[in-house]
Amino acid sequence: MSSRETILASIRSHLAASPPDDQPECGSLFTVTEKVPLVDLFKQSLEAVDGHCVVVQNEQQIVEQIARILGDRPRRIAISDAPALKRLVDGEVAPNAHDIFAFDVGISTAQAAIAETGTLVLDSARERHRFVSLVPPVHIAIVDAQSIFQTLGEALAFIHQNNDISPAVTFITGPSRTADIELTLAIGVHGPQELYVIINEGPPLAR
Amino acid sequence: MNHLSSETFDENAKAALADVQLRGALRNATLLFGKRRLEAARSLSNWEDLRTHARAIKDEVLLHLDRYLETFVANAEKRGTVVHWATDAAEANAIISKLTRDRGARTIVKSKSMTTEETHLNTALEAAGMQVVETDLGEYIIQLAHETPSHIIAPAIHKTKGQIAELFTSTLGMPPTDDIAKLTSTARATLRDRFAAADVGISGVNFGIAETGTIVIVENEGNIRLTTSLPRIHIAVMGIEKIIPRFADLDVFLKLLPRSGTGQSLTTYQSFITGTKRNADDEGPGELHIVIMDNGRSRMLAHPVTRQSLACIRCGACLNACPVYQQVGGHAYGSVYPGPIGAVITPQLLGLEKTAQLPYASSLCGACREVCPVKIDIPRLLLHLRGEIIAHKKNGSAAERLAFKMWARVMMSPALYNMGSMAGRLIQKVMPLSKAWTSGRDLRPIEQQSFRELWKTKLSHE
Amino acid sequence: MWSSVGASTVAVLRRVGCEVEFDDRQTCCGQPAFNTGYRDEARLVAQRFIRIFEESKADAIVSPSGSCTAMVHHYPELFDGDAEWTERARAVAARTHELSSFLVRVLKTEDVGASWSGKLTWHDACHGLRDLNVKSEPRALILNVQGAEFVELENAEACCGFGGTFSIKYPEISVAILDQKIEAIERSGVQAVVSGDASCLMQIGGRLSRNGSSVRVMHLAELLASQTTDS
Repeated sequence: MSSRETILASIRSHLAASPPDDQPECGSLFTVTEKVPLVDLFKQSLEAVDGHCVVVQNEQQIVEQIARILGDRPRRIAISDAPALKRLVDGEVAPNAHDIFAFDVGISTAQAAIAETGTLVLDSARERHRFVSLVPPVHIAIVDAQSIFQTLGEALAFIHQNNDISPAVTFITGPSRTADIELTLAIGVHGPQELYVIINEGPPLAR
Repeated sequence: MNHLSSETFDENAKAALADVQLRGALRNATLLFGKRRLEAARSLSNWEDLRTHARAIKDEVLLHLDRYLETFVANAEKRGTVVHWATDAAEANAIISKLTRDRGARTIVKSKSMTTEETHLNTALEAAGMQVVETDLGEYIIQLAHETPSHIIAPAIHKTKGQIAELFTSTLGMPPTDDIAKLTSTARATLRDRFAAADVGISGVNFGIAETGTIVIVENEGNIRLTTSLPRIHIAVMGIEKIIPRFADLDVFLKLLPRSGTGQSLTTYQSFITGTKRNADDEGPGELHIVIMDNGRSRMLAHPVTRQSLACIRCGACLNACPVYQQVGGHAYGSVYPGPIGAVITPQLLGLEKTAQLPYASSLCGACREVCPVKIDIPRLLLHLRGEIIAHKKNGSAAERLAFKMWARVMMSPALYNMGSMAGRLIQKVMPLSKAWTSGRDLRPIEQQSFRELWKTKLSHE
Repeated sequence: MWSSVGASTVAVLRRVGCEVEFDDRQTCCGQPAFNTGYRDEARLVAQRFIRIFEESKADAIVSPSGSCTAMVHHYPELFDGDAEWTERARAVAARTHELSSFLVRVLKTEDVGASWSGKLTWHDACHGLRDLNVKSEPRALILNVQGAEFVELENAEACCGFGGTFSIKYPEISVAILDQKIEAIERSGVQAVVSGDASCLMQIGGRLSRNGSSVRVMHLAELLASQTTDS
């Protein structure tokens, strides 16, 4: 008998041996969420977890904000394969797993966001941003205002649509952190040390 | 300091109590974790409903675990995942060793997984000639120190920054400092190279979604994302009880887990991984393997009281709330899983013989049950296990058995009970008045006139 | 175990207008055996308890002990699989109340005409708090004690470390847990600690006395029976 069969048989026989349990009825979890301005809520939530957030009205302002964030120092920039970024930013497109370590800044878009937690939703099937959003110490992400959901539940439904889900979806809430040493917060561990989110209230970025 | 046994819990505990630095660290950590958890729970007006709901979902899955597992596996395999089944720890280690050997792997990066601690996977892989690097900062620290984790969420909670600094200086040649930011960046720099060079990444799994075959892993540091996206092979190890039915159920569990564990609304990263990449040149591993392990869990399904053990989502809240854990820490339990949940699952996983002290290492205060996001009734489980230990004579104390037999005889007979001195002596035999009590506490003497004498002579006539 | 607690309970119940009876055949609720894993012994004693109290025509069975009351409420667990005894256990449990819960929830009384001078605090005994949800009731009763100045204890809900046989199986841990409670008591500056469980009082009182502290322990029943302004 294979291990699979052994385990399944063990589960079945132990369940069969079990006396019945009185299980209380569990009601619905429906809650009414008060609608709030999502851009403001997102900014507030992200800043509470040490992320940075600016709001822009057009592509020109996106470029300006990126320049402001980068500052004067020359930085090696890696960008995702989002067409808008290829147009707006001068950077290496989606470096591979080996080369990505040479870059200081990674820039990507996000497919969606969650306002109540300040979270970015990155769907790897729609954009090659898995490495640029993870390895370089600085991550800049652009998200369209209209892609911001209020709640976690909505974002989960978004990534699991039509009974399908991408091979790798990532939720990002702020820069990386740890409290493993004396429970003291340290920002910037293995993931990016700085996270900047640019919310685009102008026409959605051409994909 | 390390690799203590549950059989010597009492000795371990005494040593821990004498460790002033440990007690200070535990006090600060558990207090802070507890405070954060409470604030996070209070921030959600439907917290209690979420707990009830989560428990109901877990109960549903556990009652039909075979079907949900089969569904999970079928959906995972449809998306290119290779699923392996391991009946026990040895088999899990063997599967993973063989896999890594066959793929010619030499360097393995690992993210924190209690399940792999349970199987002592690192020891097995090292014996097979692999280099395994723990990448979670807390796990990395204890790996350097050759210790085991003392807390489910914060493995190095028992160490001061001074101790960690010394460790880094002696093992990594770091210039002496106890600046936490510098310690963290030292770890980051050292581990970057390992991530870049690793052939295989091994992770745990927080939730396995039956509906889609997705595994969900949560973290703050980013090492899980690195472990599961850079190397060409990802191996995820999962206990059979990690399954939840529907993708939408994550709305409940992702609200409960981070708040209960660290007081956060969400941890920094959640990775939702479903099968392998669709195109060869996409980012990510070319192979995804999931090792599903039993190792004694299926036995717990046999009774509703024990079945709830499998509802645990490994948040660590019970540890922080437990007055015993707060005093002695995790190592004293001599087991991978410490604290209240450890006291109930360790005996069930390893058998009562060697773990008979653990269910008694509790004052039954119930603080754990109060904070458990899935409402596991740990005190009831502890009492159940105590009953099992006595019923199967696993506790070895003939004197105690005799005492309780005599106790019962006295309690069944008011004539005996009323013989004040006899009852008094007996109570003092079973209950306080041994040196165990009087070494730290005085004892209020039993009164001359018992209540029933008082009743008979006076109160009943008033 | 302490006659003054029993006598005080009787006095308080009578003062609020109850007719009190005491069946002197009773012995123990069985908790020490149950908690240590001796289910057979606990079951025998539980059955005896149930038989005795089933016979009573009283409207309620009241106990000054939160943990004994909780034990009675847990009786059905001892008879898993035995439908008849489970039902008999449930019936008795439904009529069994802890004192403060009885006064406040059933009799709707928060003022029992007690008086006691001094500063005091309340320790939430675990079984009463977590098994029976007794929390606001004792506080409401204490606030109505004439002359008493009540302060909330830091971490009033923290366990005192007794835990039955735990206190002698793991005495060092028991005392370590206890010492945190003692520290909070000392910081509060009270003259007395009140609780609803004699076992907690024995634990706390035992350490206070060992420390030479002037703080005394008092059972809730004793406080409520008090009609004196002497401390």
